[in-house]
Amino acid sequence: MNGELSIPQVVIAPELAWVGLAILLPLLSAVVCAICGALRVKNKLPAIVTALALAISFVIIVQAYFAYSGPVQVPIFQWMTFQWGAGGPFHSFTANCSLYIDSLTLYWMLFVTGLGTLITIYASEYMEGDRGSGYSRFFFGISIFLFAMSALVLGDNLAMLYLGWEGVGLASYLLIGYNYDRPSAVAAAKKAFIMNRVGDLGLALGIFMLWANYGTIQYSELFAAMNSGGQSAVDWHISVIPFLLMLGAFGKSAQIPLFTWLPDAMEGPTPVSALIHAATMVTAGVYLIARLYPFFELHPEALATVAWIGCATALLAATIGMAQYDIKRVFAYSTISQLGYMFLGLGVGTTFGACYHTLTHAFFKALLFLTAGAIMHGFAGQLDLRKLSGLRHVAGWRIVSWTMFVGCLWLSAFPYTAAFFSKDAILLQALTSARADFRFLGWMGLFTAALTAYYTFRVWFRVCAGPVHFEAGSEGHHDHDDGHHAQDRRDAPGTHATFHPHAPRWAINGVLLILAIGALAVGLPAYKTVFMHEDNWAQQMIAHSSAYEGAGLADAHGHSDAPTPTMLGMDAHTGLTVVGSTASVGGILVAWFFHLRSRKSADQLRAALLRRWWLGWIPTAMEHKWYVDQIYHALFRLPMWIGAQILNFGDRHFLDGVLVDGIAKIPLALGRVFRPLYSGALQGYAVTMAGGVALVLAWASWVWLRGVH
Amino acid sequence: MSEALSSAFTIAAPTQISIALAISAILFSLGLIGFLCRRNLIIMFLCTELMFQGAALAMIAFARMRMDVSGQVFVIFILTVAAAEAALALGLVVLLYRRRETLNSEAWADLGES
Amino acid sequence: MELIWLSIIIPVLTAGVIAISPSKHARNTAFAGSLLSLAALALFAWNFPAWKAGTYFPMTAGAHWVHGAGVSLSVGFDTVSLLLALLTAFLMPLCILGSFTAITDRVKEFYGWFLVLGSSILLAFAARDAILFYIGYEFTLVPMTLIVAIYGGTERRVAAIKMFLYTFLGSMFMLAALLYVGWEHRIASGAWNFDIDALTATAVRLPSATQYWLFAALMIGFAVKVPLFPLHTWLPLAHDQAPTAGSVILASALLKLGTYGNYRFALPMAPAGGAELMNVVAVLSIIAIIYASLICWVQTDAKKLIAYSSIAHLGLCMLGLFALNPMGAEGAVFYMVNHGLSTGALFLCIGMFYERYHTKDTDVLGGLAKRMPVWSCFMVFFTLASIGLPGLNGFVGEFLCLGGTFIAEHDANSGYPGVLGPWYAIVAGLGLIFAAMYLLILLGKIVWGPLREPHGDVSHGSHAAAPALPSDLGLREIAVLMPIAIACLWLGVQPKPMLDAISPCAQRMLVNYPAQVERVMAESIPVAPTPVITSMKTTLKVP
Repeated sequence: MNGELSIPQVVIAPELAWVGLAILLPLLSAVVCAICGALRVKNKLPAIVTALALAISFVIIVQAYFAYSGPVQVPIFQWMTFQWGAGGPFHSFTANCSLYIDSLTLYWMLFVTGLGTLITIYASEYMEGDRGSGYSRFFFGISIFLFAMSALVLGDNLAMLYLGWEGVGLASYLLIGYNYDRPSAVAAAKKAFIMNRVGDLGLALGIFMLWANYGTIQYSELFAAMNSGGQSAVDWHISVIPFLLMLGAFGKSAQIPLFTWLPDAMEGPTPVSALIHAATMVTAGVYLIARLYPFFELHPEALATVAWIGCATALLAATIGMAQYDIKRVFAYSTISQLGYMFLGLGVGTTFGACYHTLTHAFFKALLFLTAGAIMHGFAGQLDLRKLSGLRHVAGWRIVSWTMFVGCLWLSAFPYTAAFFSKDAILLQALTSARADFRFLGWMGLFTAALTAYYTFRVWFRVCAGPVHFEAGSEGHHDHDDGHHAQDRRDAPGTHATFHPHAPRWAINGVLLILAIGALAVGLPAYKTVFMHEDNWAQQMIAHSSAYEGAGLADAHGHSDAPTPTMLGMDAHTGLTVVGSTASVGGILVAWFFHLRSRKSADQLRAALLRRWWLGWIPTAMEHKWYVDQIYHALFRLPMWIGAQILNFGDRHFLDGVLVDGIAKIPLALGRVFRPLYSGALQGYAVTMAGGVALVLAWASWVWLRGVH
Repeated sequence: MSEALSSAFTIAAPTQISIALAISAILFSLGLIGFLCRRNLIIMFLCTELMFQGAALAMIAFARMRMDVSGQVFVIFILTVAAAEAALALGLVVLLYRRRETLNSEAWADLGES
Repeated sequence: MELIWLSIIIPVLTAGVIAISPSKHARNTAFAGSLLSLAALALFAWNFPAWKAGTYFPMTAGAHWVHGAGVSLSVGFDTVSLLLALLTAFLMPLCILGSFTAITDRVKEFYGWFLVLGSSILLAFAARDAILFYIGYEFTLVPMTLIVAIYGGTERRVAAIKMFLYTFLGSMFMLAALLYVGWEHRIASGAWNFDIDALTATAVRLPSATQYWLFAALMIGFAVKVPLFPLHTWLPLAHDQAPTAGSVILASALLKLGTYGNYRFALPMAPAGGAELMNVVAVLSIIAIIYASLICWVQTDAKKLIAYSSIAHLGLCMLGLFALNPMGAEGAVFYMVNHGLSTGALFLCIGMFYERYHTKDTDVLGGLAKRMPVWSCFMVFFTLASIGLPGLNGFVGEFLCLGGTFIAEHDANSGYPGVLGPWYAIVAGLGLIFAAMYLLILLGKIVWGPLREPHGDVSHGSHAAAPALPSDLGLREIAVLMPIAIACLWLGVQPKPMLDAISPCAQRMLVNYPAQVERVMAESIPVAPTPVITSMKTTLKVP
């Protein structure tokens, strides 16, 4: 069907087995961390080992990038593999521990291992208060995460992907519940794992469906089947595949309807939020769809569904983010929102836009979370943006403030930042689409971009700008991240007069600076395209993988061949640049007005909204996250819980009590009937016996007499 | 079976058989009635012996009728068993008497279900 | 052959030695005896020729025991039964080691009966003769009943009697069915013979209607043991009341006799019946998964929760088995072993904190990670194995069982048609979500959260009944859990050798099924797909 767009042939390359070290090293460092935990090691050894392992992984991936010449499959060892009958497709199940390396894999692994290393270095300082108790456990979790994430990305089959998929879920569970004596953290961890399991079920069923239709779950064979024209939406079996896989992606990437776990996941230590719940793990859904992009074209509406869900999530999360006061929660909702953009991009047909946005987002969102973490670290867990102000004027906090500024600019897609180009690529594809509903989604995306700019700079103008004022966090709130501040906190009654914030040192500041530079650097490919008209590096990486931009929905190889689409009477590029810049700058200006220039007016506006009955519910609902948690509780959890109670009662008192014990009562009742015969009196038995003999005799005579006649 | 022994048997007349059977039935019934009506353990035991003998007599009668010695062999066997049994049973009765100072069978209803 | 008998007899002999030696040596003697038995079996397994070849019952020697009745004392293994026997022999010493401080009364009797229990389970797995199997299968009830009734909790008598009568009643159907097949064999060949292979060869030639009833009778017997949905109520009670070691063996080995019975008898002997009833069993299994999972969710007793989770897990195992294709069957057999490891370990973990706190109520106990970090690590590990985290053992079986169910469709390309399919797998898959729910809730209550200890028992570790116990696990307890943990990890990372070993046996079990299932589908009202789509699909599906 798409002969010219076929996925490159795969070469078996056992000699590249050293790339597997990228999976193995984090695992080894996890083992070391576990041993450190068992031995109660009190120094920074776990952090050093983890950082070292991840750095080497990164170097390996870089090495692999330079050695890369085309998609390869690297067999390592056989895992869940067996066959029956003659073997081959449909008569074997092959899920080996092997690698599939193409440009998409490398693209993903580069930023996963790179950011993993940086954030580990950051965490080595951030978590130092927990040395000897949770330090090893923390880095064990990080190592397990990197192991699973590498397996997810590098695996050559869907079972390996599933292994990584659940493995990152496990790491996320362990790390969200890091402060396990805090019930909210335990609940959040549980929620994250269970909601992810819902998605995982979809993914597992999708894998089975792929096997049932193609007889294999190895990428190379699946893509070969695709190349030979396996695309069709004739049968519901085949056309349902994308929807099942989609469910898995939505669970892991926190999209509607499975997004409510991500904000709660902020209970974990901030480096975890930055690495797992912003930069890498949550992009696994994007990776899945990009990796299996050809299969998402099996049903014409599958990608449209992805687009709609992505756009709706982006808008919904942005509205919630506008009304939150906890900095980390704002960033969490912004993550959901940005992930929504990525799905929108995938849905409207620009895998390049989605993947490029993933890359830029990974950098600036990790940066933002790490600055939030630094603030939290220094201000005894304070994260309420109403209680912090003017940090850029406080000594020792300039780097944090300005790197946060960079992050905020990127997040709000300020013109000519990297995120501006990546978001632009997505929105351009949507707005120039042939489908009216995609164009509508594009406009919704633009509107959301304005909201994003507003809530992002709401945080920055509140926290980093304005008059200097801060309050220390309460002991009970996030205080476990920095136990060594216990002394500080006890002294501090909660005003900045006596509270001395603890400014970050080299590891935190250094990582923040590197990330800020990285955020700038990931814009380079886009600048080259815009100013020097060179091919975009990211686009090259994506286009030569299985995530080639699909047939029918998008013009696949660059837009130069297609007739130039127009927008608002201008060339689409120019038009979008103008409109997008307006949205971004407009949002920033609104935030500036309400949250820096005249902070009172924000409260007045809010009060005015709340006074009007027909408007007042909107901010309330936004603050309460549109009551999604409550709705889920009422729709799913509560009925199931009631059902479970009924079943539990029924099992004990009906099934066991009435049926089983009832059957057991039949012999008992029979016994009652004959019981009087056993009186214990000798004569009684004798009479019974004689009567029995008499009966037998009577019966025998009757039979005999009948025989005579 | 030797020639001499078999010549000693002659086919019995039906009336003689029926007389023997009638006596055996009477013996058995007397024993049964006695067993059911009396409460004295020794008398009850004697009554079981009566029933035994009734059954034995019937067996001899049929053996005579069918010219088959196995019935008589059985009777001899029964007599032996009955002798052993009598020794055992009377011993038990004595033991029971020592326990409760009575020979009334109603004193021993402990195994009753109700 | 001799090694098999050795491994079966050594525990009984040890029990005899325990009976005549002083009770202070009982536990060490029992431990040594069970280790010897394991060693004998391991030695046999080491030299077992059939790992790769997958020979079916390779050992043929066997003396006739009851001559006229054709009952022979012949034992032998195929890879599946050997794996299950190894599991049993592997868990026996660990259970005994785990009971060192838990059992303080009537010590000699406990270890004696426990060893006898192990022997009879091994006999049932090793038996090549149906009657010998039945003897082993049934005799397990005697020691198990005694262990529950003497060493159990407050309702131990009721639990023991219910367990005995319930499973015994079920076994009667099974025995009747086996005797019937033996009788048919006598008619066909002129002599009694209860050799399992001979019986199977006879049974598969019986008419379909007969096989239907044969299958039903065998199924009732084994379904009680598994236990399948409506026949499960004896299990939670028995688990709840049994001492820790009893629970472990009950969950890990005794219940496997039920699934093993299906694998060995019900499915191969009556393929026509199995094909006809596969959807019934599958539906019951799915009900078991959902029903038991939901009940788990609201349990406050940790042990009952694990007991109900056993019902759910074995429901999935049965579902895989009754998918009647190699993927499902491999998954099911793999799952039998996995479930034995992870659930057994969970029972051991629960027993360990029960010994310290004398409560299993998750409402009064919690946050033990603070008090017992080592125990918590093990508990989390085994819970994750039980949830089916990839990389640990539970996943392989679970994934293959579900996958097998999924692909057991009318027009399956795998060569093994079936009447299940995606919908069955989707509903059963909900069990995966529920499993995560109830097990993580259990973890959240007893491992994580703020420390909660029962009132009046804050001086943990100095409890009157268990004076020698440290607050966290001691070396002995770590030695109990560590081998299981290693096995879980090993099977999760390297399942390939075991999958290869199971594969030929699973295919052999299913040899009659494709034809039979097709017959059943042809006889039922066909849901005729339009020929156009069929043809298009066949062209599309072949890559």
